[in-house]
Amino acid sequence: MSIMAYNGASIVAMKGKGCVAIAADRRFGSQQLTISTDFQKVFAINDRLMYGMAGLGTDVQTLSERFRMKTNLYKLREERDIEPKTFAHLVSSTLYEKRFGPYFIEPIVAGLDKNGEPFICSADLIGCLNFAKDFCVAGTASQNLYGMCETVWREDLEPEELFEATSQALLNAVDRDCLSGWGAVVHIITADRIITRTLKGRMD
Amino acid sequence: MAVQFDGGVIIGADSRTTTGSYIANRVTDKLTMVHDRVYCCRSGSAADTQAVADIVHYYCQMFDVQNGEAPPVKVVASMFQEICYQNKDGLMAGIIVAGWDKKVGGGSVYNISLGGSMNKQPFAIGGSGSTYIYGYCDASYHENMTVTECIEFTKNAIALAMSRDGSSGGCIRLAVITEQGVQRIFVPGNELPTFFEG
Repeated sequence: MSIMAYNGASIVAMKGKGCVAIAADRRFGSQQLTISTDFQKVFAINDRLMYGMAGLGTDVQTLSERFRMKTNLYKLREERDIEPKTFAHLVSSTLYEKRFGPYFIEPIVAGLDKNGEPFICSADLIGCLNFAKDFCVAGTASQNLYGMCETVWREDLEPEELFEATSQALLNAVDRDCLSGWGAVVHIITADRIITRTLKGRMD
Repeated sequence: MAVQFDGGVIIGADSRTTTGSYIANRVTDKLTMVHDRVYCCRSGSAADTQAVADIVHYYCQMFDVQNGEAPPVKVVASMFQEICYQNKDGLMAGIIVAGWDKKVGGGSVYNISLGGSMNKQPFAIGGSGSTYIYGYCDASYHENMTVTECIEFTKNAIALAMSRDGSSGGCIRLAVITEQGVQRIFVPGNELPTFFEG
């Protein structure tokens, strides 16, 4: 079995009007066995920038700590918050550093830049960036997510509509995947604040 | 899984079929009739178990016509065993045979594992999800359970397995097999018994 599918995870991010959404499932398993249903895969850097990682659980945890360290040092040196695009490049270089012994994760970055413009971006396990204008998907249900996102996404969705679209895309995609699901967390990043909702989906 | 009670058997299964990690069918019927009062629960390769069940269904019909009576559950289980054992190299099939017959005057459950061994048991569990519920089943089962208790036991056990095992899920299909006939029960995903979910 693929090492990227060992623990199971699914992440999706979508662009809206003056807002972005990033959502992830909550399962942590060992192949078919579900170990926990509250595993964190999306992390916040500040109140306008979040990122999620799908793939091997240990690398998700290790990298979240490494990114926390790097962004804290950035803030101390630059005396300002890191921009989403800059953080995306930071993720890319961190991953490419390990080109011949990579971290087994697929990250997705979502946030608002200093002008309030929505930004989303995904990368592969060795740091190739993909700046999407609509949505980004990652994880064991990525193919299902592509289909769902193409169906529900439209341009200029308002925060509440974006929440609905993201939730439906994630929930229905993971329901066709044995390795992700068991709950979901959806974050909507708007100019004022981050709205976080935990969804109870199918627990099978 | 299948549970024997005084007067018949309860059989139950989840409804998930997977190809790799993709759920190809989330409403599968894994309870297959091989004769009027004899059903089998299929686990392992879907193609293998469907093919074997079709062949046994044919043999059961031949038995019925040639002997003028329905095949006893033990005989049906032997038919499954013969096919599974002789073709053990090419098959991946874990089958539970359960039903009612006149000779026994009640229910019988037979478990046929991967290699083709056949064991008569008061209750049997199988499939990838079964590994997670051995403890629950051993702790909950007791002799002389009523039909209602058996249904609760089966429903709870399957729900627990569905909660932990990635290859199990969807809805629960149950069937009560008695002298009177086969009564099917359907439990949709949103009506499953819930337990501790971490």
